[in-house]
Amino acid sequence: MSGAIGVVAALLVGWIAWRIWGGHPPAPWDAALSRREHAFLAAVAEAVFPPGGPLPRSGVEAGVPGYVDRLVAVSPPRQRRLMRLLFFAIEHSTLLFPGPGVLRGRRRLSAQPLAARIAVLEGWRTSGLFARRLVFASLRALVTLGYFGDGPVQRRLGLEPFAIDSPVCEADLIYPRVGASRGDIALGLGDLTPPSDGTPLCAPGAGAAG
Amino acid sequence: MSAPDVDLRVFADYDGDVREEADAVVVGSGPGGAVAARELAAKGLRVVLVEEGPPFTPADYVQDGGFAMARTLREAGLRATRGTVMPTMQAIALGGGSLVNSAICNRAPAFVLDDWSERYQLAHTTRADLDPHYDAVGAYLGIAPTPDAVQGRRNLLFRDGCEKLGISSESIPRNVRGCRGSGECFTGCRTRAKQSMDITYVPDALRLGATVLTSARVERVLADGRRVVGVRGRVVAPFTGRPGHAFEVRARCVVLAAGCMATPVLLERSGLAGPSGQSGRNLQFHPGVAVMGIFPEAVDPRFGATQGYQSHHFLAEGFKLETLWAPPAVLSVRMPGSGVELQRRLLDLPRLAVWDAITSCHRSLGEVVARGRGLDPVLRWKLDPLDLPILKEALFRLAEIFFAAGADSILPGVHGLPDEMTSLDQARVLRSHALRPGDLVLGGNHAFCTTRMHGDPARGVVDEWGRCHHLDGLYVADSGVFPRCPSVNPMWTVMALAHRTAQAIAG
Repeated sequence: MSGAIGVVAALLVGWIAWRIWGGHPPAPWDAALSRREHAFLAAVAEAVFPPGGPLPRSGVEAGVPGYVDRLVAVSPPRQRRLMRLLFFAIEHSTLLFPGPGVLRGRRRLSAQPLAARIAVLEGWRTSGLFARRLVFASLRALVTLGYFGDGPVQRRLGLEPFAIDSPVCEADLIYPRVGASRGDIALGLGDLTPPSDGTPLCAPGAGAAG
Repeated sequence: MSAPDVDLRVFADYDGDVREEADAVVVGSGPGGAVAARELAAKGLRVVLVEEGPPFTPADYVQDGGFAMARTLREAGLRATRGTVMPTMQAIALGGGSLVNSAICNRAPAFVLDDWSERYQLAHTTRADLDPHYDAVGAYLGIAPTPDAVQGRRNLLFRDGCEKLGISSESIPRNVRGCRGSGECFTGCRTRAKQSMDITYVPDALRLGATVLTSARVERVLADGRRVVGVRGRVVAPFTGRPGHAFEVRARCVVLAAGCMATPVLLERSGLAGPSGQSGRNLQFHPGVAVMGIFPEAVDPRFGATQGYQSHHFLAEGFKLETLWAPPAVLSVRMPGSGVELQRRLLDLPRLAVWDAITSCHRSLGEVVARGRGLDPVLRWKLDPLDLPILKEALFRLAEIFFAAGADSILPGVHGLPDEMTSLDQARVLRSHALRPGDLVLGGNHAFCTTRMHGDPARGVVDEWGRCHHLDGLYVADSGVFPRCPSVNPMWTVMALAHRTAQAIAG
């Protein structure tokens, strides 16, 4: 009898673990984040920047999960931990607080259908609790940074960086690129160029993409 | 000048522990430290300037908001206060904050300095006392108002709105030569127009014989009884902070210019915080709020000086108004909505301008304490409810200027109020609404007072020449010495005070 209870308990634990953590596609081989976290970010990116909207790219098409992965990878350890904690907290919040009625039972956020994810995140955004709004704002900030990291999105909005040829100034004869040795500096006095002459990069009224 | 003539060390070139002897060691190469180092070297002192960050070249700058912050700011740009949560930033780069700020140079108003003099027993810190130092720095850096040709429409609309309302405004004076209006001040100026410390005072200090150690984190100030005798620390890898070789600089004078959030941590770590209990306390900010405005036609916000126009009209009421631009990704973080609604709003970006207010919230105080092993602090700070009316009035005035300039609508970014307001009448709620601190999206990028100057050694850390009250040979030359927030952007005042401190040291 006790053996049967044990088997049932083990199956139950396994089923719960699968509901919480399982079933995610693998993350890229060089990813800093786990496949669970990638799946979560894709689910959030799709909710914040859904397909078929007025901008030509969805959050997933814009590569938001990969961008956030790279950003996490270059962040200091403490900030890395905090970001991952943020992802974990929001991903599993729907297990404790199912939220609006569109949710399909107690599932983690990334397992919810798109409409439910949007409703849950909107609940965080408009919450009366400052802490919830703060958590949402932090997550959306990361996703938005990733969305704008996409060239086609920048071009569609006319906000891609200007093409600029930097003048060579005296400091460039002293400083190597970050990580390089001073011995790697290939510039000499003959490479100095006139300083910026103040010519505007954009003629007045030329348009954002001009 | 060519590369072999100067003594600059970068991470890749350290091949063992470093020991140096000097007359003065300066910790931090931001506006305070760079000016102090150059002025001391010019007086013939043997100077070692120590900076934890690396030097950046234009090829190292990235225009992506997230990665730019991760590379040039401490804690990847994710630092925030506890208590009232407010993001705040500190650079980690040769040149410090000057590399990634928008180069705004304002002299502290006379009424502010008079108040400092009277309230904190600083008889020699009036505007007349500081003007020669402002002048010297201003002439060196070519500080001048931003020309109209590179203002861009989003800045000029602010001017137009102010004019219509009879609110005084002015083109922002900046340490810039040949600005082309790239709007990239916050991610590093690729046109090399911004006269940041890394391309001005630091190369000049090198030329004058100073040694500059980059990627070198000071971990301890060394003292022998009351007298400081140098600093000690570790070489650290750029971006990762991985520690490497040890270094020690022996000097008869130590100038701490690590910034008001790191200098008190360094003193605490070194057991030199002093008997007054003031080190790390009295933390103040200029809490900032911003409003976005959507205009009926294109604003072309990508083009124009990052911050080109300002208004000092309401300084006496506790706030300063100014224009603002930043990487679109960073600005869009403030946009309301989610999903399709957010995407629609992003399409408004080409018609958008952002203006902000920095406020003098004197009642809102905090403290800096050490955390972990590095120089990153715990920041505790609380917005005092009595300061909220200043923020509310500032928000309303920004809305008023937007509508006077012809905006169709504004996005005030206040929880509990409509995401978008389409008339000034609707915006009046910004004045009347019962705000709580958590309803606002605050930003606090000017920080002060954690090693404040005070004529009374029991109530401050340094005197008005930056000289530490309780230690011989120790000086502070960053915004921590301000006894109160200055009501305007602090960089020029930091440099003027550092200029004066260097003169005091050199005698």
